[in-house]
Amino acid sequence: MRRIRTLVVVLFKNWLRSREAVFFSLAFPIILLVIFSLVFAGGSAHFTIFVQNEDVGADGRPTNLSATFVESLAENDVFTVKRIDPGQNLSQWARESRSSGTKRVVVIPDGFAEQVRNGSAEARKAVIIDTIDRVDADINDSTRASIRQGLGRHGPNATNSTVPAEITFLTPSDDETGPAVRGILESHVATFNERALGVDQPPAAITTGTMNSRNLGAVDYYLPAFIATIVLINGVISVTSEVASFESDGTLKRLVATPLRKRDWILANVIQQSVLALVLAGVMVLVAHLAFGVTVIPGPLSIALVLLGAIAFSALGITLGSFIDDADAATSLGNAIAFPMMFLSGVFWEISLMPEYLQTVAELMPLYHFHRGLRRLMILGTTDGVALPFAILGVGAATFLALAVRVSEWQDLDG
Amino acid sequence: MASAADPVVEVTDLTKEYGSVTAVDGVSFEIRADEVFALVGPNGAGKTTTVEMLECLRSPTSGSATVMGHAVLEEARTVKEHIGVVPQAFDTFDRLTVRENVALARRMYDDGLAVDDVLDQLDIAEWADTRFGSLSGGLQQRTGIAMALVSDPAVLFLDEPTTGLDPAARRSTWRQIERLANLGTAVVLTTHYMEEVEELADRAALLVEGSIEAVDSVDALVDRYGGDVKLVVSRGGDGYDDEDGDAAEDEDGTGTDDGDAVEATLRAAATEVYRDDTGNLVGLFDDRETAQEAFGRVHRLEGNRSIQLTTAGMEDVFLRLVGAAVDRQGELQ
Repeated sequence: MRRIRTLVVVLFKNWLRSREAVFFSLAFPIILLVIFSLVFAGGSAHFTIFVQNEDVGADGRPTNLSATFVESLAENDVFTVKRIDPGQNLSQWARESRSSGTKRVVVIPDGFAEQVRNGSAEARKAVIIDTIDRVDADINDSTRASIRQGLGRHGPNATNSTVPAEITFLTPSDDETGPAVRGILESHVATFNERALGVDQPPAAITTGTMNSRNLGAVDYYLPAFIATIVLINGVISVTSEVASFESDGTLKRLVATPLRKRDWILANVIQQSVLALVLAGVMVLVAHLAFGVTVIPGPLSIALVLLGAIAFSALGITLGSFIDDADAATSLGNAIAFPMMFLSGVFWEISLMPEYLQTVAELMPLYHFHRGLRRLMILGTTDGVALPFAILGVGAATFLALAVRVSEWQDLDG
Repeated sequence: MASAADPVVEVTDLTKEYGSVTAVDGVSFEIRADEVFALVGPNGAGKTTTVEMLECLRSPTSGSATVMGHAVLEEARTVKEHIGVVPQAFDTFDRLTVRENVALARRMYDDGLAVDDVLDQLDIAEWADTRFGSLSGGLQQRTGIAMALVSDPAVLFLDEPTTGLDPAARRSTWRQIERLANLGTAVVLTTHYMEEVEELADRAALLVEGSIEAVDSVDALVDRYGGDVKLVVSRGGDGYDDEDGDAAEDEDGTGTDDGDAVEATLRAAATEVYRDDTGNLVGLFDDRETAQEAFGRVHRLEGNRSIQLTTAGMEDVFLRLVGAAVDRQGELQ
């Protein structure tokens, strides 16, 4: 234990006295954190949409309901609404319009108001009938039939009684944010439908209590992923390079000639990296807290996951560094593994934005599960779904430790 | 504590094979306490492989070796407690100071010496707080020796300890090794510098292509294989430059073939004639009288050349046994 403790201290001093190592370990993630935080500090997203309201009366003016719908769109902070004349050829408009930016168009069809009214009446009738059936068992059948008949006289006409109004959303094929805008529009239409039914207080609603109650922002979202990333970089790039360097310059041979055992050397490296990972995570949380007011606090399980990640990735680094004697080649190999993993694992963006086959690739990467697990623990505060990250990093740690022992040239001749 | 005559290292038929290549081929020797033992040979002779087996860094293919009575294979950890090692092309943590590096080495052992005492002993206390990476080659080498000595080893292995050092640093390292030997530590020195062997070693083993050609005290080796006297013929600082055996330059304008004549004279009288690594023509003689006669004849032929009668050394031993000299880079000529 004395030997391991000594080596851990030595490895720490050696790291601390290297400006490059300290920079890449500490300043690099903080710089990333600052950049991403500033980029996303401008509040919510904003989109311009063009609305063509075809639902006009004989006087050429929009019907009340369609006008109300357009106004409600304009009141939404997410949208800037610009109008296109009804009857305008959209293809020609798209060619001739001088508007800059993406041309997203919402088309409100002719008959929109009538369809909404009809659909709304049908829905209300169904609610009334259902209510009568449920609340008053004493109403006799003839009374009930009379009520139904009465309601039927105020129902929609027979031709288009329950056909919903089809609002069309047109967007250029290269519009990357189209799916996001469509999602917002769908949410907006759902709210409009509720209002059309006279439901001011929706009976069911999604609340985002966890996020909103803790005032989480972009930095909170990125922080767990950056912690996972820095653990990866330290393990796969720094440790790989350092171990290869120790092997090639003779430092390791000097240690091998002492009574120190190989497992102690590997353990010392892993412990140093694990403690370093915790220190770096702590510094990042502190900086994020002081500079950006983040509220995420790593709990015991988050700390355990960071430790497990540090063990897995530093053991991988020792394996790679032992395998390749040349420090430069080892660094290149570490970069070749770490950087694709960083960009493909959804650290910087959601993997749902990537092609499906790349999403499959991402899910095969330990970093993906590492930062997903950390985000669940740190942002959502839930343990749901973190068993898999723990299992993957645990298996990775055991596998890479076994490999590190196996591939090292260090031989303990007496076992 | 072993007495001076006791072997601290015993090697019997030690062999190391890498596939079809035999790096060390059944070598046997003993190293006694209090002696400096040199393993001498050109690059690739198997010196480093041999000592690395004794340092428990490589496992032998066959044969056996013990250090302080402990088998290097089965009791490696115990053996390591008794040895100090300065590997070839030694390096350690560059960003740690001299004292921190020596302290690191000390803490790898259960017993040992005080760090500052070792720094004093090796005259590097002045640089104790200097980072290892900032030191000169000579001071780095002394730090390496300090790291190896701090465990108070019975046997100290120095693998090519002066390779790459300038002459001043080399001499300084030699003085440190001499001091160690006087303190009672057995020193195992691997080197291809023959003058280093003559300067430091009590006994030496000549290793060529994995096999030991001879092992004995340096004096006995020189007596037996080096001849008593050697005559060195050189042309000032430029050496004897008639290396291809053709006629030397006709500097005196007489038209005589001086180079051939000198070499022929030497070959007629000497037991061995060769060129050393600086191009000098060297003749070995079994007795001083014959050598002096040859000296007179060569002097008459080549008055303007530098001619020197000197005692034979390890270089001559090596040449006699191997048939070729070793250059400064350790390659056979």
